[in-house]
Amino acid sequence: MESLHPRIRLLWIAQTAILAAVLGAVLVAVDRWLVPVPTAGLVGIVAVAAVLGIAYAVRLYQIWQFELQGDALYLERGVITFVETAVPFVRVQHVDTQFGPIERVLGLSSVVVYTAGSRNADVRIPGLTPDRARRLQDTLRELAVESEADDAV
Amino acid sequence: MNRLHPFSAAVYALRYGLLWLWVPFFLVTALAGAIEVVNIAWLPVAALLGFLSGAAYGIVYYYRFEYGITPDTFDVASGVIARRSREIPYRRIQNVDVRQGVLQRVLGLAVVTVETAGGGHSEAALQLVSKSEADRLQHQIRRRTAGVDADDPDRPTSEASEDSRPLDHEPLDKQSSRVDGTAEASPASETRSRREPTEPSRKRLFALDSRELLLYSLTTLRPAALAAVGFLFFFATDTVLDFLVTLSQPFGGPQDLQTGDTQSYGVLTVVSMVNGIVITYLVSVAYTFATYYDFRLGRVDEDFVYERGLLQRYSGSIPAEKVQSVTITDNPLQRLIDYAGLWVETAGYGPDSSGGSQSAVPMARAAHVHRFAENLTHVETPAFASPPPIARRRYLVRYSLIAAGVVAAALALAQVTPLERWYLAAVVFVAVPPAAHLRYVNLGYYVGEDHLVIRRGFWRRRTTVIPYFRIQTVSTRRSIFQRRLGIASLVVDTASSRTLFWDTPTIYDVDLEDARGAHRTGRKRLQSALRERARTDDASFSVDFT
Repeated sequence: MESLHPRIRLLWIAQTAILAAVLGAVLVAVDRWLVPVPTAGLVGIVAVAAVLGIAYAVRLYQIWQFELQGDALYLERGVITFVETAVPFVRVQHVDTQFGPIERVLGLSSVVVYTAGSRNADVRIPGLTPDRARRLQDTLRELAVESEADDAV
Repeated sequence: MNRLHPFSAAVYALRYGLLWLWVPFFLVTALAGAIEVVNIAWLPVAALLGFLSGAAYGIVYYYRFEYGITPDTFDVASGVIARRSREIPYRRIQNVDVRQGVLQRVLGLAVVTVETAGGGHSEAALQLVSKSEADRLQHQIRRRTAGVDADDPDRPTSEASEDSRPLDHEPLDKQSSRVDGTAEASPASETRSRREPTEPSRKRLFALDSRELLLYSLTTLRPAALAAVGFLFFFATDTVLDFLVTLSQPFGGPQDLQTGDTQSYGVLTVVSMVNGIVITYLVSVAYTFATYYDFRLGRVDEDFVYERGLLQRYSGSIPAEKVQSVTITDNPLQRLIDYAGLWVETAGYGPDSSGGSQSAVPMARAAHVHRFAENLTHVETPAFASPPPIARRRYLVRYSLIAAGVVAAALALAQVTPLERWYLAAVVFVAVPPAAHLRYVNLGYYVGEDHLVIRRGFWRRRTTVIPYFRIQTVSTRRSIFQRRLGIASLVVDTASSRTLFWDTPTIYDVDLEDARGAHRTGRKRLQSALRERARTDDASFSVDFT
């Protein structure tokens, strides 16, 4: 099983930080215009949110794993709900590599695998180096072409 | 390339005229308040100008809308200012639907929609063509789709091979295809003569008789009916209220809404609720009756074709090749009288809001429906396995929490309103054990030789048969609570359309080992079934299932 790049934790922590900042801003707004919120409580709530977020990011990194198996791309992920997904290569419609602004700064990239399914129709593997992402994309594309089914929808 | 029926020019002109009428209307109204020069008296003239330019746009739209059947694709070119020309390869077409409203039936017109797997809406909509042209299109596209599918998909098709190809065993169709070939040059005139020879190849599979239609209408409750009644109430509140007051008077209701004591208001509330339920139910019955009136399912070659509707008439075709899964539905009432319905799911988008699900047999005796499903999918009679009893305990806890939420809400309400005896809300706890039990006993799954069968739901129980070769992805999910209990849910995704009411088939709350086992089996059988299909090329769904 392959783990994600350790820097992905920074991405998730950054996302948490943004959320915590938004939460803080909302609380400040509530304090200003609606009901007074004690400063200690405000800081406390934001701090708890941030700590929970960081713990979540660390745990998610520990859990997130994927593997190219004989017939399918296999992924394990999820802190609250643990999900094991198999995406058979035959079912791969197309494969993207993507990166957002924070990922770009961190030098990370994601691979998104699309199937024709209704739910889980797109499976994202975040936290890959751009090089690894491109290699994975190529491999998946080759495997998908190799095993193409004749019963396309 | 062909044009739509000339009547559509009038329809488009009227539609865009009425739409564009409002632009100058609002513009003049808004500007008259702000700018001195603009006068409100211009309104009629401006509105007329808006209507005329809209109508002109509609007529140009009609002249710029073209469609045509080519050997490999169905083409639609449209748009006045921004042009769009779309080519839909036949092998990607899921189904072709023909819809006729009341007025359209009188005028002999129809709307044709072409569905493919992608997207949330129809790929092409031809509004309006003559009914005979609609039937011709439906037949032509179906024939070509079947032709492409029967062949190696990668082989280039040409017009020459098209004519001599797969229909040799069916002289009638071959003959008709010849006629089609020559008729391409002069489309509109002899559609009728062309239709006749194709009729005999249609074979009836199922027709809803009046008894089944009545039972289906009476036992099905549609959420849409609630919306319709709510809509009526919203627009005619006073009339409806008067009506409700009058109805409640024989039972001791108030003389009018202003004068009355607690008791008579209570009577009014109860009687009105009963009336609301009865009216909603009647609307629902009428809706179902009108929708499924004269339902007929047939086959043409390897396609299912169906027709239904009292006022608005639908007819559609589903290629058997495109069927993803098959579902048997029943609700408690239908189970009581031992009836059920059969639905097939495709990846396309259905003619009504039910997504890619189409009713193959709306209602028939449960035993028949089970036989149909077995014939259609070749599934063996499933021996359902149940989740472990720990799952039932989980539902007990879950529903208890919901009940506690209800009581808490009543308590909160009692704080802000003069509501007394809020604790009587605790009566909902009585429903918890039966609810948990009913959910539990209706869960079942069967890991078969070639199929996975999943049953779930009490109010609208669904038993879905998924051939392994239709699996897209499989996921084993475990929430923290499930992990504590050592159970898991298995989500089996197919390419059926995403819908609001039809969740993804899921085996809920089975032992982790069983879930993992089914997960492995699904993956393995998918591969072996695909290999098998590539080798033998046998049809996976039988069209003759009744």
